[in-house]
Amino acid sequence: MGFEQIMVEVLKTLNLEFIFLIAAGVFIGLIVGALPGLTTTMGIALLTGITFKFSGHSAIALLMGLYVGGVSGGSLSAILVGIPGTPANASSIQDGFPLAMAGKAYQAITISRMASIIGTVFGIGCLAFLTPLLTELALKFTSAEFFLIGLFGVLISGALTGGDIALKGWVAGIFGLAIGMVGTDELTAWQRMTFGSPELFGGIPFIPIMIGFFGIPQVIEALSDEQDVLVAVLDKTKVKMRDILKYWWVALRSGLIGVGVGIIPGVGEDVASWTSYGVAKKSSRHPEEYGKGSIEGLVAAETADNSCIGGAIIPLLSLGIPGSPPAAVMLGAFLIHGVRPGPMLSFEFPAFTYQAVSWLLVATIFMRFFAMWLAKPMQKILQIKNAILMPIVTVFCAIGAYSLDIRFIDIALVFIAGILGLLFKEGKYPAAPLVLGIVLGPLVDTNFRRALKASGGDFSIFFTRPVSLILVISIVLLILGQLGVFGMIRSWFKKSKPAAA
Amino acid sequence: MDESKVRLRALDLFMGLGFLAVGAFVVYDGFLAFYATQMATVERSSNPGVTSIFIGGLMGLLGLVIAAIGLLGSLHPLRIARQAVSETLQSKAFYRGAIALAGIAVYFFVFWDRIPYAISTFLFLAGMMTIFKAGAWWKIGIISGGTVAVVWYVFGVLAMIPLP
Repeated sequence: MGFEQIMVEVLKTLNLEFIFLIAAGVFIGLIVGALPGLTTTMGIALLTGITFKFSGHSAIALLMGLYVGGVSGGSLSAILVGIPGTPANASSIQDGFPLAMAGKAYQAITISRMASIIGTVFGIGCLAFLTPLLTELALKFTSAEFFLIGLFGVLISGALTGGDIALKGWVAGIFGLAIGMVGTDELTAWQRMTFGSPELFGGIPFIPIMIGFFGIPQVIEALSDEQDVLVAVLDKTKVKMRDILKYWWVALRSGLIGVGVGIIPGVGEDVASWTSYGVAKKSSRHPEEYGKGSIEGLVAAETADNSCIGGAIIPLLSLGIPGSPPAAVMLGAFLIHGVRPGPMLSFEFPAFTYQAVSWLLVATIFMRFFAMWLAKPMQKILQIKNAILMPIVTVFCAIGAYSLDIRFIDIALVFIAGILGLLFKEGKYPAAPLVLGIVLGPLVDTNFRRALKASGGDFSIFFTRPVSLILVISIVLLILGQLGVFGMIRSWFKKSKPAAA
Repeated sequence: MDESKVRLRALDLFMGLGFLAVGAFVVYDGFLAFYATQMATVERSSNPGVTSIFIGGLMGLLGLVIAAIGLLGSLHPLRIARQAVSETLQSKAFYRGAIALAGIAVYFFVFWDRIPYAISTFLFLAGMMTIFKAGAWWKIGIISGGTVAVVWYVFGVLAMIPLP
């Protein structure tokens, strides 16, 4: 497809209807993201129910708007009340909240907004540039590579988000893969783990599980806590773009970190912003200012989590593997609307990547204005009692899940997933690998067996192709690294050196 | 090791055993597929049981390791669990959480599909807001009624979703 044709296709999906939908998505995203307890992932899952009757492209444009708005919106509550609206903005509290407490809340919001814009635009640029390259590469992949990429994604996501013990991230991911495998097998029509229930023959629906897993624990947690929040007062300080551009190097480095983390399957914005914050603090000339209202720290955190949006969409569009939990839910929405991401997307919808780029750019423009306009009303909204907000969220959880297929089982699944989410939270098991596992379950399963079938049951197919071999080595190194084998070897060498001397 | 970590390890033991049990079930389901008569004509390498056994086995193994870490980290998991449960049962937050969960369960499993949407949702919202002291009764009534109307309009009218 030539440049002109691509531009025609892009302009077709930039009419008033799309612009209105993107604006609505950003607006909803900013509110969802800003309200502690409502995450971007959950917002996308809930909104997918409403978009069921929309055309595929318009629904995706709306959800992309919500993605951009949600990640940015989280910083509003992080700065104003010291509670991150989404996990992605937890690092923004470190310097955003102290700035607000020092009477510079508006300044902090403006800085974080500008950093968000820089980050989002940087991520979008990488999306436009890298997606076609990765798609080109992915077209050469066989089932063996897709299986290994899926498995590697689940394992690395588990390792990077595991927190307490890496094994917890892995088991969460593998558990997700098992959930993703429930239903009628694509290759043989055998029914797996359906307990004979016809409602499970089509598999466990992803959206109700996500709504329950993220929504119900937040509702329970918020209602368990009697405390209401203290909101910072807004000042009238003016901040100019050149004040931020003083930190251009921090912004660039954070943008790169955000995109890099975004491309890694299932890791997401929170890891990106913490990594970037850590790197910025380590290399700063004034590390002592971090955590006390450092503008540099705020720029690092906000640029990275927003550039991660573009980064997370790169593997989603080119490989069909999401780079973050919100992107994973978006994959579910893509499939519901008949858009199958992956290398074949460039044949089915050749202009899709550029359409997505244009939607994200429009969303960034709306985010810039809405976030500033919403700063004042958000002060009031953030004071809404949990006792009012959370029952309303529960109703949305139920309706959002029910509206997909009009089945009672989806409501039951929301509840079961909610209990599971509570257990995971209590046991410090990360959610991201589970989400990725559920999404990648069918991909890992079918590609594993397709590869074995192609090789006549010979496992060497996973080692003899160059990309497969690299992936296998990466998986082995990842496992050994997480089990502390390299640390043991290092300490053994250190001990043996003085002995030899 | 501090007390919260010891408690987390005790929980790890039980959750690890849970993952082991789920993994064992997935492996069992894989073997069912592997030896099913309907699958006799399917090549072994394409049998769905292959992935089930692989994934289930891996989950079981990881569950076992987590359980072992939990056992070693907590040393007396049953005693710690008993203590944690009795402390939790005394906390106000637990009761608030339990009431919230019970309210949601009633809305989902008793009201949904049995009582028309507008009535069930109004009852749920007003009930929860009253229990958790959201404000004066008339405020609760207005907010609950308003929410029911907005949700009905957005989902029932605009998105044309047949609400119960």
